[in-house]
Amino acid sequence: MKKLILAGAALALMTSTALADKFLLDMKGPGAGNPFWAAVEAGAMEKGKELGVEVMVMSPPTESDVAAQIAQIEDMIAQGLDGIALAPTDPNALAPVVDAAKAAGIPVVFVDTKGTNEGVTFIGTNNEVGAKLAADYICGKIEKGSEVAILQGIITQSTGQARASGSKAGLEACGMKVVAEQTGEWDRAKGQAAMENIITGNPNIKAVFASNDNMALGAVEALKSAGKLADVMVVGFDANPDAAASVLAGEMTATVAQAPKNMGAFGIQALVDLKAGKTIDPVIDTGTVLVDKSNAEQYK
Amino acid sequence: MLGNSPRLSSFLEHYGIVVIVVVMMALLYATRPDVFMSLANLTNIIKQNATLALLALGMFVVIVTAGIDLSVGSVMALGMMCLAVAAKAGVPWPIVVLIGPLVGITAGLVNGLGLTVLKLPHPFIMTLGTLNIARGLSSLITEGAPVSGLGREVRYLGQANYDFGIFPPPTGLPASLFVVIISAVGMWFFLNRTSMGRHIFAIGGNTHAARVSGINVDRVLVYVYAISGFFAGLGGLLLAGRTDSGFPLAGQNAELDAIAAVIIGGASFFGGRGTVLGVMAGVLIMGLMRNGLNLNNVSPFWQQILIGLVIIAAVYIDVLRRHAAVRR
Amino acid sequence: MTDGSEPAAAPLLEARGVKKYFGAITALNGVSFHIAPGEALGVVGDNGAGKSTLMKVLSGLYTPSEGELYFAGSPVKFHSPRDARKMGIEMVYQDFALAGNMPIYENIYLGREPGRKFAGLTIIDRDLARRMAAEHLDKLKIHVKSIDQNVEELSGGQRQAVAIARATAFDAKVVIMDEPTAALAIKEVGKVLDLIKSLKAHGVAVIVISHRMDDIFYCCDRVMALYQGANFADAPLKDTNRNEVIGWIMGTKGHTQSFAHDRVQH
Repeated sequence: MKKLILAGAALALMTSTALADKFLLDMKGPGAGNPFWAAVEAGAMEKGKELGVEVMVMSPPTESDVAAQIAQIEDMIAQGLDGIALAPTDPNALAPVVDAAKAAGIPVVFVDTKGTNEGVTFIGTNNEVGAKLAADYICGKIEKGSEVAILQGIITQSTGQARASGSKAGLEACGMKVVAEQTGEWDRAKGQAAMENIITGNPNIKAVFASNDNMALGAVEALKSAGKLADVMVVGFDANPDAAASVLAGEMTATVAQAPKNMGAFGIQALVDLKAGKTIDPVIDTGTVLVDKSNAEQYK
Repeated sequence: MLGNSPRLSSFLEHYGIVVIVVVMMALLYATRPDVFMSLANLTNIIKQNATLALLALGMFVVIVTAGIDLSVGSVMALGMMCLAVAAKAGVPWPIVVLIGPLVGITAGLVNGLGLTVLKLPHPFIMTLGTLNIARGLSSLITEGAPVSGLGREVRYLGQANYDFGIFPPPTGLPASLFVVIISAVGMWFFLNRTSMGRHIFAIGGNTHAARVSGINVDRVLVYVYAISGFFAGLGGLLLAGRTDSGFPLAGQNAELDAIAAVIIGGASFFGGRGTVLGVMAGVLIMGLMRNGLNLNNVSPFWQQILIGLVIIAAVYIDVLRRHAAVRR
Repeated sequence: MTDGSEPAAAPLLEARGVKKYFGAITALNGVSFHIAPGEALGVVGDNGAGKSTLMKVLSGLYTPSEGELYFAGSPVKFHSPRDARKMGIEMVYQDFALAGNMPIYENIYLGREPGRKFAGLTIIDRDLARRMAAEHLDKLKIHVKSIDQNVEELSGGQRQAVAIARATAFDAKVVIMDEPTAALAIKEVGKVLDLIKSLKAHGVAVIVISHRMDDIFYCCDRVMALYQGANFADAPLKDTNRNEVIGWIMGTKGHTQSFAHDRVQH
């Protein structure tokens, strides 16, 4: 019996040393079809090839399927691997499994969405900075003291919070009046409904910042059917292809692009560095870019 | 007291729910007199609840048979995605607008046949299965990507607005309102004036009685789930028109809203009881509550809590009412 | 005694050598049965003797594993209660099988609503259904507050009356009644038994399954006993007595000694 265990351990040792280092990128949602996650995935794969390490990509079937993501990571920890770059669907819910990975000696970094675990590096967009970028753009386009509104995402999520608070701080800093803040739960139809209610209650608003492009596109529909698209400026976040097309068509005014490719690439680089025993910064900003008519073409 | 006048209590039994709607509207008017009764806001309430109304009508037929259809939200998304992809692929619009309802009917037939042919013990299980299948399929079609830009004709039912020359634009009566009215009247006629409608109520009241009366219970159940699927698909057409987009995560948890509207409207979860008028009132109660809370900038967390309380209160009132009726 | 009674007329409904298996269980083992128009037949037997199974075969709910059914002399096969109803064979269930959430008149016409056919649906003529229901209840001398009353608001006896009205609404030839008085208050029993007699007087063949000797001896012409899935005895009521019939239920013949409950009654 003892012999068998020894043999098994030796075999495990052999197989793990025989292959290249194996890293997991676990994203919030499937990359196929979703340009954002596809870019994160591409960045990680390219970096993996460049550094000669194996990169596996996984995700739960939908962004709200927290349990599936936890189960995936538990399974991968059980199998053994060299590092995890994780975009947590729910930072609090994922915290225990991240601790478990660290306890097993597996390095972890967060990409896209910051987790709650102490001492784990976050690699991603500084959403507050990005939202402030959008707010500053609005400030530069409309009169000081105008009424503006914010469509929030799900504000129990850190991304939703950061975009809501960053935009609000930015808009108030330049003297805008934020008259309505409502949630559209990241959803196009709900964003549209929220926008309809906002313009009914606040007919004088001049601009709306939507915390993602889906809600921004919903807001455009609401403004169109109210005949107010010309009076109200819509700025979104994410620079997804539909939003870029909408910006080019002159419906949405602007959106904010993240650098998802950087997230994947920086994530794998950070894991390789950690594996090599280097220390890395606690926060690595992947950067944001304002997208308007002048540069929207490249995001289509 | 209330219960002592048979005419009053009979009135409340049939129209009590409408009284609640009127009271809610008065309350909302009191809190935001400037906005609530504005044409724009009333138009909003109608537009925002049209899909829920259709889903609730379908759910109602199912609940009358003491069943449940958990798949309506996902089936709506599936119908939406199929028609959006077809519209993008250049399929002529008269066919595109049929795709949503047809996808819905197909999903409903699968539910009905699964229930009756596979003899799964409860519709909860079959429709829980199709909930997941339809949601997976909707994401699979475009691998999760939304599809926008559907064309004017496809959007018509979900987006058109009639001002009749009397409403100042952009207010007016949305086309979706007429879809809902026609559906509700049609449903009322079907349930109350046709043999199959009455058989649906009989199945909900006493399946054994229905069976021995020569009613082909399985066949009726298949129709019932197909009807529910049809309304889910029609809801998908409306929502796609309204948002100019098909997106695979549309209608998440919509089945729960539909169930809540039906139950608030006084239908019994145990089958055989409920009215179309009640269901429409249930939809309005949910819609008015959300609208009022939004207009007063109440946090979405409180909205959830309040909707939960209203569901419990509405059913409790129903329990009391029935209790009084039995004693009478 | 088994073949001691000749049918009074040519049998209206007849079963020959009916067997019914449920997996390894034999519920009916070659049962024969006959009833004539205007005859009231009591069917007795202990629990599990096969009474209910036989009635379900006669009413089309079960198809027999072996054996034949004859209606008015010609062989028939029932695939569903619908087929049996088409022949005029109706069943009144012990639990009445009424939809409590629906009004009396709708229960009477459930599954056979009068109206116009349109695109596969029947658009119900509610006035006609109401009028027909009222007339039919009148004919059977059944009195209710209103035909629009929901069945759940009725007493047990009233429900039984509605169930009988439903069974006879369409020119029934044979009415099978499963324990018609078991769920009733004592004061309602007499009314229901009189109703059975009046059906008989209208020429309807009535089969009464009952545990209560009083019921059978009040309204039946003949009694037939099943024991362990087979015919056990069959006799005109005038040729037998309660004690003998009770003996049949328990599987004994030639029983004449009086029983405890008999002594109490006399």
